[in-house]
Amino acid sequence: MRIKVLYFGRLKELSGASEESVELREGAAVEELFARCSAERPELRKFRASLVAARNREFVPWNTPLRTGDEVGFLPPVSGG
Amino acid sequence: MNPFPPEDRVEITRSPIPNAEIAREVRGEGDGAVATFDGCVRNHSHGRRTLYLEYEAYESMALLKMREIAAALHTNHAIHRVAIIHRLGRLEIGETSVFIAVSSAHRAAAFDACRYAIDTLKKTVPIWKKEYFADGAVWAEGELPPVPAETPAAKPASN
Repeated sequence: MRIKVLYFGRLKELSGASEESVELREGAAVEELFARCSAERPELRKFRASLVAARNREFVPWNTPLRTGDEVGFLPPVSGG
Repeated sequence: MNPFPPEDRVEITRSPIPNAEIAREVRGEGDGAVATFDGCVRNHSHGRRTLYLEYEAYESMALLKMREIAAALHTNHAIHRVAIIHRLGRLEIGETSVFIAVSSAHRAAAFDACRYAIDTLKKTVPIWKKEYFADGAVWAEGELPPVPAETPAAKPASN
């Protein structure tokens, strides 16, 4: 299945991309998606504990299963205002 | 949760925020109070002199979260109208980055709702700021938004 991945803030700088398309096995969860995205980006992997994931614009836990066409954002701590 | 009230104004903009206009717009004839919060760019951060800030957002999600805040204000406070506007891009010292206005018949509800709105925005809305100094730039330390707990039964939500 195909997942659209978005990076923001410092994660965008660390990953070198604001957006990418990732092919994952059916039923994979957010955690597996992040493992895939950070596999060749050790700097990104170090941020695992201080980021949250959003699936289709809602915050979700790491074990949330994904479906094809989902949009997943990896978000560092927010600092608006 | 209540549907998003049509008279509320929730926006993300790259232009200067018209604070006075927004504060005027939320006011109705039955209102006795308008509480506003003007978040502006200050010239220092952690003892360093700030030159300017840059804001970016996950825009579609940020708007969704801002609308949720507005809806929650109507559920929990006896208020009339809400405006929440956040600006993105480069902002100079003294400029408004976020403006919130809440109208109500009596002042307590407007004060309380306005305070809740900015506190919740800072914790849950996906917006980030980068602080620029004479000798470099850093992403502002932020808050990690609360996320629903993991459950073994977590299922894909409907789209």
